[in-house]
Amino acid sequence: MARSVRGGGRLDTGLVVACVVLAVFALVMPRRMRDSVSTALRSTILSPLVLLEMRASTVRAAIASRNDVLVARGRVVTDALSANAVADENVTLRRLLGLSARLRDGFVAAEIIPTRGVDDDFTLTLNVGTGVGVLPFSPVVMADGLVGMVQSADANTSFAITWAHPDFRVSAMSVNETAFGIVQPHLGTGAERWLLELRGVKFAAKLDTGTLIVSSGLGGTYPRGIPVGTVLGEIATPEKWARTYLLKPSVLPAAIGPVLVLLPQRATRGVNGVWTNLAAADSAARAIAAAGDSLARKAALDELIARRAALDSASGSGAPSDSVGVQPLMTPADSARADSVRRARSARPDSVRRVPTVPPAAPPRTGPPPAGAR
Amino acid sequence: MRGPPAASGAGSAFRAWVGFALLVAAHFGVRPLIGGRASVDFLVIAILFAAVRVRPGLAALLGFAAGIAIDALVPATFGAATLVLTCIAFGASWTKAVFFADHIALTGLFVFVGKWVFDAGYVLVGGGARGVDLVVQLILWSPLSAALTAAFAVLLLTALRPLYRPQAI
Repeated sequence: MARSVRGGGRLDTGLVVACVVLAVFALVMPRRMRDSVSTALRSTILSPLVLLEMRASTVRAAIASRNDVLVARGRVVTDALSANAVADENVTLRRLLGLSARLRDGFVAAEIIPTRGVDDDFTLTLNVGTGVGVLPFSPVVMADGLVGMVQSADANTSFAITWAHPDFRVSAMSVNETAFGIVQPHLGTGAERWLLELRGVKFAAKLDTGTLIVSSGLGGTYPRGIPVGTVLGEIATPEKWARTYLLKPSVLPAAIGPVLVLLPQRATRGVNGVWTNLAAADSAARAIAAAGDSLARKAALDELIARRAALDSASGSGAPSDSVGVQPLMTPADSARADSVRRARSARPDSVRRVPTVPPAAPPRTGPPPAGAR
Repeated sequence: MRGPPAASGAGSAFRAWVGFALLVAAHFGVRPLIGGRASVDFLVIAILFAAVRVRPGLAALLGFAAGIAIDALVPATFGAATLVLTCIAFGASWTKAVFFADHIALTGLFVFVGKWVFDAGYVLVGGGARGVDLVVQLILWSPLSAALTAAFAVLLLTALRPLYRPQAI
């Protein structure tokens, strides 16, 4: 037994000495030799462990890069959201540019200054004031239609109420002038609070859903022809001798951005033909949008030239002269107007005939489109 | 009467080798996922747990093999881990009488000292660090790593007792 233990002890000692000698030899062996030995080990008996370690390192790298991917993805989403916001703002500004081109003069562009107050939902603080001619009761408009009215103004800022303000009133009419009334906010609850109502419409005047309601010009504050809203339907009121209609505002609250303030002389002169005229009320709003778009303008110009050529050839072949009279309603900015004019001509030839018949033979232009044809 | 104990001894040895293999696999498969300067050294745990179960000569061989595996992956310090792990495994097996008791805290201390000695020896023999870096490594990162390794060893011994119970292989 004792011999066995001594033998075992000698074996242990021998093993450990051999291992230590080999380890020291590995430590001091030349670099080239240790590289070749380690390479041989890695490629043979240690290859499964090397593979395992490599996979673990790959997984760790993937986890680390996953975080980078998430961060990058978050940045892309943020950029995309801001790009959408910029695109929306661009559309709004282009439409406002179209409106400016049709108004030509007598207005000032204004930015809305963010404020914090009780009436924030119904009032706007504008960065223009009496210094540029803005006075109380000046109409505030956008490309889509009426926004509100300046209530007070100082040298550099002015305060306007929107159509949602409880004090807001505008004399309005249907675009075909069959119904007149007063538009005021619909003082309902919830989402209905952001609607308008047209009150005091004579009982005989029945309006269809979708009818455009514009300012009538009565009262002197708002010039005739600014879109106010479209009819959603009739609502029941105690007044049995008159009708009341619910309107969807032309300018939605979320869309209120940069605005134009009409100066008093422009309001007095009127804006007929800017948003609406009696012959082409619906297409005028589209014209405003298109006027700011150079591509649309170019396309409309090309179409105008083509139509003009077709009309010239038609008149040369003995076509009725009335067909030529449609032409002045088209502007380079409004290709869509021709359709509504055609519709109007077939439905109400008298109203078309009221339009001047001979257009000036304007050469193709590349600048801003002319104001609405009258 | 002698059958069941022999079978039990073979089963125990098998379980011990399985535990050893798992720790070696964890060293190469899990440790790279953790990263950091202070991390759990599964290979040292495997060597220490195995060393107290085998004769010093076999323990020295295990330490030698494990050290070669480490050195083959780090050729710059080839031989350092082999030498240090051989000595640690032999020493652990030789001093197993001190830690024969199945005591968790003693085992933790045993692993802590073993890992710290391994780190210190590896750094000193391999010559990987000098000056302030060497001091920081020896008194900050090595103890931290040793503490983590010891804590994990205690956890392992508690959770997987059948695999890592100190019995002769």
